[in-house]
Amino acid sequence: MIHFENITLSVQHQTLLEETSLQIHHGDKVVVRGPSGCGKSSLLKSIVGALPIIGKISVDGIVLRAQTVADIRSRIGFIGQEPVLGAEKVRDALLLPFTYKAHQNKQPADDLIFQTLERLHLRPEILDNESKRISGGEKQRIAIARALLLNKTIFIADEITSALDPESKQAVLDELFLPEFTVLSVSHDPDWVLACSRIIEIKDRKLTEVSK
Amino acid sequence: MIVDMDAASTISMFALLLIPIGIFIWLNLCLIRETIISALRMGIQLFLVGFYLKYIFQLNNGFINLAWVLLMMVAANMSVLGKSGLKRKIFFWRTLTGIAASTFIVSGWFILVAIRPDPFYDARYMVPIIGMILGNCQRSNVMSLERFYSGIRKNEQEFMTYLMLGATLSEAIRPYLRTALKATVNPSIATMATMGIVSLPGMMTGQILGGAMPMPAIKYQIGIMICIFTAMVIAALINILLSLPAAFDDHQRLKPDIFQ
Repeated sequence: MIHFENITLSVQHQTLLEETSLQIHHGDKVVVRGPSGCGKSSLLKSIVGALPIIGKISVDGIVLRAQTVADIRSRIGFIGQEPVLGAEKVRDALLLPFTYKAHQNKQPADDLIFQTLERLHLRPEILDNESKRISGGEKQRIAIARALLLNKTIFIADEITSALDPESKQAVLDELFLPEFTVLSVSHDPDWVLACSRIIEIKDRKLTEVSK
Repeated sequence: MIVDMDAASTISMFALLLIPIGIFIWLNLCLIRETIISALRMGIQLFLVGFYLKYIFQLNNGFINLAWVLLMMVAANMSVLGKSGLKRKIFFWRTLTGIAASTFIVSGWFILVAIRPDPFYDARYMVPIIGMILGNCQRSNVMSLERFYSGIRKNEQEFMTYLMLGATLSEAIRPYLRTALKATVNPSIATMATMGIVSLPGMMTGQILGGAMPMPAIKYQIGIMICIFTAMVIAALINILLSLPAAFDDHQRLKPDIFQ
């Protein structure tokens, strides 16, 4: 599903990961842990080609390179710690990907949008709000809803429950931790870590599996 | 004919600079050296241009006129890249193409369609009109490039989000292109709207001082303002679009080494 083969990752001349490998299988729920600045978020970004690496990354058997980066991005729902909605109104932000050629004519019906919002404990009226006026937790859930509406099955999540109350967090876990979804995440949240099937630690610039 | 200023009168104009210099001294502003150097440079450059133009007008040769215009474009291009913070080595030909294309399109329209001088390459029309377009577009060219790249640099996470959501490079850059173009043309829209009320434009004033009647001078002024505005938009768009292949790598990441 997601394979890292002998990857070396450096950010601003500092080597964070060195010749390390990891295999994530379909349906795995993986959380990456380690001290701050060790390269957890950088590892997530590297999968979608946001940071250069040495080595090989493949997603669904497709090796990440210039010709395939758009395809790989289209397969992954990337949700950051402080998600950027990218439009003034929440409705426009939610539908932003459907304005791009890659997702044109795939715009979801209103019913599906409302159902997705409801499952994430969001009121439909939020669609008429300005993006800058909604809370951090609501932003996180809108970004998750956007990824779900795009029918992604691989999710990269960077501390996405940091601003959520327990009920909303449970709703997110229920939505993302379905057997058919693969999740690679970074989180310090004990509930999230507990829900994950695998824990990977970054230690001495290597990705090491930790038994639960 | 215009009343000529003798050498003493011209030098006396520099005396007026004592007022801002006095203010700089009072406010302890470290601008005196720059002011004096800039004023002297302006004087020397303009006198040299005066000598060159005298011969260019006398010769009135199409190829020499074109060479002079190209030289002005190269100088404008060097200045634009220097001030926008982009590396000259990487972008020189790309922005020169944008500047040349925009200038030739609008000045061609103004000279060949509207004024129709004989010969069409008459230096008295070609050199000052292209000079005015280049000079007035310089600041907007700097602003469009600077705003565009600083917008992406400051909002890298947002830019990457667009790519993650399936945007192509041209779709992902569109918000920054819009912001850059808006910032570039807004001051000109305001200037056009108040022209004649708040400001008396330079070209019109120059022609009236040179002995022209106000009406022909006004027609030229309208023409040059529209040329400047159109050139600004064309140059901003072409400069940004042509700079993209050099500014982004094959994963659509903004290259860090393109900035000075």
